[in-house]
Amino acid sequence: MTENKPVVSSGGGLSTIWIIPILAVGLGIWMVLYSFMNEGPELEISFNNADGLTAGKTKLKYLSVDIGQVESVTLNADASGVIVTAKLEKVHEDLLKDDTRFWVEKARIGAGGVTGLSTILSGAYIKLAPGKKDLAGSAKYVGLEVPPLTEVGAPGARLVIEAESASSISVGDSVLYHDYVVGRVESMEFDHKKEKISYGVFIDAPYHKLLNTSVRFWNISGFSLTASAEGVSLDTGSLETILSGGISFGVPEGMPVGSTVKDGTIFTLYSNYSDTLEEAYKYGEYFVVSFKQNLAGLVPGAPVQYRGITIGRVERVLLKEMVSQGTRTMGSAIPVLIYLEPGRLEIGDNSEGKKQLISIVKKGVEGGLRATLASGNLLTGSLLVSLDYFPDEEKAELGSFNQYQVIPSISGGLEQIQHSIAQFLKKLNSLPLENIASTSGEALASLNVLLSSEEIKNIPIQLSDAVTAMNAQKIPEKLASALDSLKLTLDGLAPGSPVYNDLDNTLYELNDALQGVEELTQSLSNVSSVLPSSEVIDPEPEVAK
Amino acid sequence: MSNSAASEGLSSCHLCYKLAPKSEHKCPRCGAAMHLRKTDSIQRTLALLITAFVLYIPANVLPIMITDQLGASEPSTIIGGVLLLIKLGSVPIALVIFIASVAVPLSKMFSMLYLCWCASQDVPISVRQKTVLYRITEFVGKWSMVDVFVVAILVALVNLGGLVVIKPGIAALAFAGVVIVSMIAAESFDPRVMWDNLEESLEEKND
Repeated sequence: MTENKPVVSSGGGLSTIWIIPILAVGLGIWMVLYSFMNEGPELEISFNNADGLTAGKTKLKYLSVDIGQVESVTLNADASGVIVTAKLEKVHEDLLKDDTRFWVEKARIGAGGVTGLSTILSGAYIKLAPGKKDLAGSAKYVGLEVPPLTEVGAPGARLVIEAESASSISVGDSVLYHDYVVGRVESMEFDHKKEKISYGVFIDAPYHKLLNTSVRFWNISGFSLTASAEGVSLDTGSLETILSGGISFGVPEGMPVGSTVKDGTIFTLYSNYSDTLEEAYKYGEYFVVSFKQNLAGLVPGAPVQYRGITIGRVERVLLKEMVSQGTRTMGSAIPVLIYLEPGRLEIGDNSEGKKQLISIVKKGVEGGLRATLASGNLLTGSLLVSLDYFPDEEKAELGSFNQYQVIPSISGGLEQIQHSIAQFLKKLNSLPLENIASTSGEALASLNVLLSSEEIKNIPIQLSDAVTAMNAQKIPEKLASALDSLKLTLDGLAPGSPVYNDLDNTLYELNDALQGVEELTQSLSNVSSVLPSSEVIDPEPEVAK
Repeated sequence: MSNSAASEGLSSCHLCYKLAPKSEHKCPRCGAAMHLRKTDSIQRTLALLITAFVLYIPANVLPIMITDQLGASEPSTIIGGVLLLIKLGSVPIALVIFIASVAVPLSKMFSMLYLCWCASQDVPISVRQKTVLYRITEFVGKWSMVDVFVVAILVALVNLGGLVVIKPGIAALAFAGVVIVSMIAAESFDPRVMWDNLEESLEEKND
């Protein structure tokens, strides 16, 4: 039995078959190690909701290439949003920077058209926009609720435009320059501290070079109809901007081009183009004018004109200051703050021009410069402040109200007309019309009496008597005898009368005499032709010799 | 009466099962190498079983099938597929897949492990039971390829261009490896080793 034993437990050492499990384990370890080493970074993205996101299914894509996958979708600590944990492939780790942006790509209808149609069938995915190269990576991100409108890393400039109200501009609206689209509104939020809407605007390259500190932005959404002291104006942009809104920008006419702007510069949004011109000047000085008149129609922004040229605007009515100053007397003048700009007078939009403006006003007031309230537009009833010289007015100087200087004012313009009409009517009223009426009545009555008197009635009878008296005299007879003697004289001259015969004989003898002269002339001419003629052709000079 | 061929000084040819004296190195009939027992039977079986166990891990952890539906690919593991089928109400199919791809390979590998252990140790368990266990193991092992076949058929069948495409996952390869390796392990196991031990102990008792 013992000789069988070695055969049964043959070998005793390890069989070569162990290579197989070792190989399998080695392969397994290698696979684990490989996947561990190629483990990409895990990142957390927070979103408002997990609409369309599925753990283990939703992909992370960049330029439509899968670069990662959502691992889990959980609520955040206070259940106010979701945290999406995603794993990025290691090779794409570089895309992860501090300013990398993530958003959920799904079908959307926006300003730029319909996007993400492919996600209707395939489901939503998370898209990312890689950040700048020089930034460090991070593991926590806040996802965007709407995809960024501008391509990632697109050259251009980002600005902030502040507006008083949201009006009709919304995210995605165009920014235009000379009606050409050069950028768009990327974001919009309400700054509750400043009480302003701030728009994030992106201007594409190369148009961002058009930007400088003098540039002004204005709203061209819809259309604006304004009725002011300067009339009624209707401003509209293109049809597109009427429907969807937009912002236009440009350097106001006459403004010098400013310096270049940095990203994030804050600009103000004007409500229309004319507003940008209104405040095109930087320097100006406040003055106060007081009026005792009805100020209905004098709105802030109403022009201040000098002989029809706008040199400033009305800032506001200083009602509060007036009350706080304790002007108790009833019916005292209401102070109105006006703002005069030296730039409009073309004496330089700088501090030098401002000083000059003040001295001009000071001298002007001494020379009779007065402010009046004038009617700007009879249709809208708006008023404006007009400055002009009234040399006949009493001498005055610049006054003061709080910290402002006061330009003396007179009632003028419409007020003056109203005043003179009233005076005229007053005078008209005081005229003794009744007296005039009664005296003229009396005059007419006496005239009537005069006409109905006897002398007047006899005038035609006397005239007729005079004519008959003229007929009774012998004037025609004398005329007839004069004509007779004229006839006798003419008869003496008739043919057959001695005077006529004498005249006839005399004429006959004159005729004979003339015939004799003719014969003499004939014989003279014959003599001249008989005379020898030398070389001279013309016979008359020969005769003269 | 219960003497084995080995105890009678005979060995069987692996190929044609001819009995020949164990001093013969080659089979007198077919010329194949003669061994009294399969070489390193238990070691080989154990090694292959361990390989099968190692392969069984990725086969279950990694996706066996990737369904690409309209651009959205969805990987599924074996257990995941089973659970999905149960959720969808197809319990019989889930049961089939579970038995074929989880219950059978695992029970096969564990019973092989148990048999190896029994063969190397002297365990007081009836030879008949061990033999039945071995038979069941051999029979059942053939069916564990069902899962691989399911994947292979689906990959070939479901290919609708961009709409739905099914791709085999890496786990399919691992699973095929498990099945093949465990089959080889079963093949390399020599059940006679179990009985040899029994006989020895019996003989010792008799002595």
